[in-house]
Amino acid sequence: MTTSAPARELLDAPPPPARPRTRRKRPRLPYLLIAPALLALLVGMGYPLGWQVLNSFREYGLAQQFGEAPAWVGLDNYIALLTDGGFWSVLIKSVAFMAVTALATMVIGIGLAVLMKSIPSWSRIALQIAMLVAWAMPIVAQMTVWNWLIDDRNGVLNYLLSYLPGVDLVGHNWLVDPWSFFAVASIIITWASVPFVALSVYAGLTQVSEEVVEAAQLDGAGGFQMLRRVTLPILRPILVILLLLQLIWDLRVYAQIELLQGFGAAGDKYDLLGTYIYGLGIGQGHFGVAAAAAMIVLVFTIALSWFYVRELIKEDQS
Amino acid sequence: MLKMTRGAVALAAASAIVLAGCSSSGSDDEPTTDSTAGGGEPTAEAQAEDITLWLMGTDTPDTLIDYLKTEYADVNGGELTVEQIGWGDAISSLTTALPDSENTPDVTEVGNTQSATFTTVGAFMDITDMYDELGGDSLIQGFVEAGSVGEQRLALPYYFGSRMVWYRKDLYEQGGVEVPTDLAEVTEVNASLMDDGVGGFYVPGQSWRDGISWIFANGGDIATYDGSEWTATLSSPESITGMEQWQELFMETSVAQVTDDDSTAYEAINDGFLPGTPAATTMAPNWAYWSLGDIAENDEGEPVATWNEEKFGAYALPGVDGGVAPVFAGGSNIGISASTQHPEGAKTLMRIIFSEEYQTMLAENGLGPANLDYADTYAEVAAMGDIALTAAENAKLTPAAPGWAAIEEAKIMEQYFAAVAEGGDVADLAVEYDDQINALING
Amino acid sequence: MTTKRSPLRPLFTVLALVLAVMWVFPVYWMVNSSFQTSATISGLTPTWLPTSGSWTNYRAVFSDSTFSGALGMSLAVTGIALVVCLVFAFLGALAVSRFRFRGRKSFVLAVILVQMLPAEAMFIAQYKMISGLGLLNSIAGVSIIYIAMVVPFTLWMLRGFVAGVPADLEEAAMMDGCTRFGAFMRVTFPLLAPGLVASGVYAYLQVWNEFALASVILTSDQSETLPLWLRNFAQPSSLGMIEWGQVMAGSTLVAIPVIVFFMIVQGRMTSGLVGGAVKG
Repeated sequence: MTTSAPARELLDAPPPPARPRTRRKRPRLPYLLIAPALLALLVGMGYPLGWQVLNSFREYGLAQQFGEAPAWVGLDNYIALLTDGGFWSVLIKSVAFMAVTALATMVIGIGLAVLMKSIPSWSRIALQIAMLVAWAMPIVAQMTVWNWLIDDRNGVLNYLLSYLPGVDLVGHNWLVDPWSFFAVASIIITWASVPFVALSVYAGLTQVSEEVVEAAQLDGAGGFQMLRRVTLPILRPILVILLLLQLIWDLRVYAQIELLQGFGAAGDKYDLLGTYIYGLGIGQGHFGVAAAAAMIVLVFTIALSWFYVRELIKEDQS
Repeated sequence: MLKMTRGAVALAAASAIVLAGCSSSGSDDEPTTDSTAGGGEPTAEAQAEDITLWLMGTDTPDTLIDYLKTEYADVNGGELTVEQIGWGDAISSLTTALPDSENTPDVTEVGNTQSATFTTVGAFMDITDMYDELGGDSLIQGFVEAGSVGEQRLALPYYFGSRMVWYRKDLYEQGGVEVPTDLAEVTEVNASLMDDGVGGFYVPGQSWRDGISWIFANGGDIATYDGSEWTATLSSPESITGMEQWQELFMETSVAQVTDDDSTAYEAINDGFLPGTPAATTMAPNWAYWSLGDIAENDEGEPVATWNEEKFGAYALPGVDGGVAPVFAGGSNIGISASTQHPEGAKTLMRIIFSEEYQTMLAENGLGPANLDYADTYAEVAAMGDIALTAAENAKLTPAAPGWAAIEEAKIMEQYFAAVAEGGDVADLAVEYDDQINALING
Repeated sequence: MTTKRSPLRPLFTVLALVLAVMWVFPVYWMVNSSFQTSATISGLTPTWLPTSGSWTNYRAVFSDSTFSGALGMSLAVTGIALVVCLVFAFLGALAVSRFRFRGRKSFVLAVILVQMLPAEAMFIAQYKMISGLGLLNSIAGVSIIYIAMVVPFTLWMLRGFVAGVPADLEEAAMMDGCTRFGAFMRVTFPLLAPGLVASGVYAYLQVWNEFALASVILTSDQSETLPLWLRNFAQPSSLGMIEWGQVMAGSTLVAIPVIVFFMIVQGRMTSGLVGGAVKG
């Protein structure tokens, strides 16, 4: 009994300073802090997103846009899309495009970062400046310049390639064949995204401390083992984020494809999801179907990146 | 280049206005239309309204825009704002803005082939009561139909253009060929030039608005209406014959690429446009006149084209058995937005646009006037006006179907022509693209 | 790492220089072409150096009636969206990385998911909303959407940076008598500067580049942003061909503000990003 009183005092002792803090500050402050961001999201995205979810279940076309009451059609829009070969072919093309482009970007970016580690600083700075300048190019300017580079008649690419023996490409249009069209798009996007990856990974590499490297070398670790045992684990969080970002960005790519189509190649053979949804909606006035397509793509993206998202959230909690 | 060309147009327009003083009196068969000439109608003076007019692309020259602004300010007292919407953004801009009474243009131009898409959903105000006042049956009827739903007149014709064949006299002479007199000869003449390495026909692979003439000339069509539904007819025997003839033309004579479209066709026969074999023949609307000719640099070091009668010429596309082939009637309609808050101001503007003075100005600038009473002025004054008029009389429109704009937006016709140009089997492709058109054409 | 590779170093150096040329070439070509006259540019043989040094193309761009308006519009929209977004995202990042609270996980998840939404189907609803607010063709209207567009990613990046600054530091300062706010301003904030720069760069890039939504809600010629302006400028007109020299001059002018901005902040940018990711 005698011990219980001080014991209870002891047990009770810590809370008083802590409790008021948690009571008074914790519950209110964080909510106040996220309020502006949440509000910005709600204002900018709330209504549009709600509209989109709602109208993916309604018949909403041009007639509705001009005042007719939209009718509920349940899952019709979704069924129409999922039973349409055109939608699937665009989806598959987009996924393939995303996989190739994101992978190429990651591989080249990591390669460049490793390269930067192993060259004298003057050449590294030259490479870094080149990367920065390319990275800073606004998308519309990027696409315009590339279109000029690959111009069929006066483009410098065809001119240079025609120097190769047996090659005459002057007048060759790179945007006719869909394969060639997507290859060009993929190269341009890779060119534009590699600097972000390369510079980030390089900055990550500089954080791998010399001591760790030396210790591993003393242990007899070779180049490959070093990469696998030391470098990769340290870089892992960066690589996960970079890969996730590349996947998201490359799947929902819109601007580059739209602009490239504007430069000549026309039609749905050259569509990826972004331009496809835009064409369905604002282009052809099938807003309900476009909304459903966007919802399907969203679900698809979540499924595709679920592994990474879960990992990110797990990390976030630890 | 655009700036310079427009400058040239303005200059020509200015000189043509002087001419117009003499020639406009020639077309006074129907004096009733004169009452529409802008004028101080008492109703319009009720109150000054600021209104907005949307014009598509840059086809309406600046002098005409200025005229509209001044005239509107005079008649109504309000201010007229004119926005130029790029053709590529036309459908999306109209789709978003027209139903929105706060931001709708009060009056808007719309491509003639896009009209039906918007008229059928009630985007345009019913102006049947103004129809006679604005020109009535003198207006080019194919376009009136494109902008009507049943008996309701919604979007009226604004201007028309007709495609014609432009050629190089010197190259034809060098190759020892004459201007063709039937459609088969068009291929023969250009194939012969091509064989001699003298020149070819600039046939852009995606330029269906030019190529469609081959289908029309053979009696084919894009789609037919049975009173309730549109059905695509690219796979009719006539359409296929026409398309095969066009494929042959592309294969044997074209100096253009599969991916080229008609935007590049205007200047194609100018010197230095193409590396290698030059284009001796191209198809373009009559206003390509301002982009064709000898190229020289002006004071600011920018190239300008000056028409050279010795080197350049034009003719109407000949038909299968001679005569003139039906060509695609380019052009646009104009109407009042159903959600406008300024119907009176908008009507005033429509009266100005359909006035004798403005219609004459259109004609002088090479844009076919909506009111055919002024077609004589057009034939006399506009460059190549006589040929343009011959072509226009034989012009055909694309289907006035609710889903036509969606078909244009999805570039289905471009893809069909490009696929044929690539050497695909016409009969198979026609069936495939008929299906695609049928899926969209009824809205 | 470097010591072992030394025999191959010259080879790597050459490779690095080749790659540098590959990456910089399009940019070089843009600037080069912008100084060519249309005669040299349409010639069959490319001209490699802008020796003629003609400013005609730039004059043509500046005389384009809509260019200066578009530049002003872009600067205003980017400025507003950037500042607001950084403040909002920063506060949000603070909450997420410094506090445990109910709904925190859902909030983080929402922030990630929003970035996966395909934007193209929402344009029409965004148009209706902005028009309903009477903000069509206005700086405020487009800024509202842009802020919502960039806040999630910025917040997500900043979250890592904030977590990277140990909370102990703040608490130590508080022991020394600072208020929580004072401790934060004096200790944590300076350490976060690189993070703010890095996140700011991405927000800036996204806003400066955006043109799809802009083309829907900025319908008037008077309210175009630079990317819209450039896209229209680069389209072949109905009366002629693309004037490549002028288009390249226009592209150069659109790119310059970004390149300058990058050069100023470049040192902090990448180290910042990685700091956030590694420690996050």
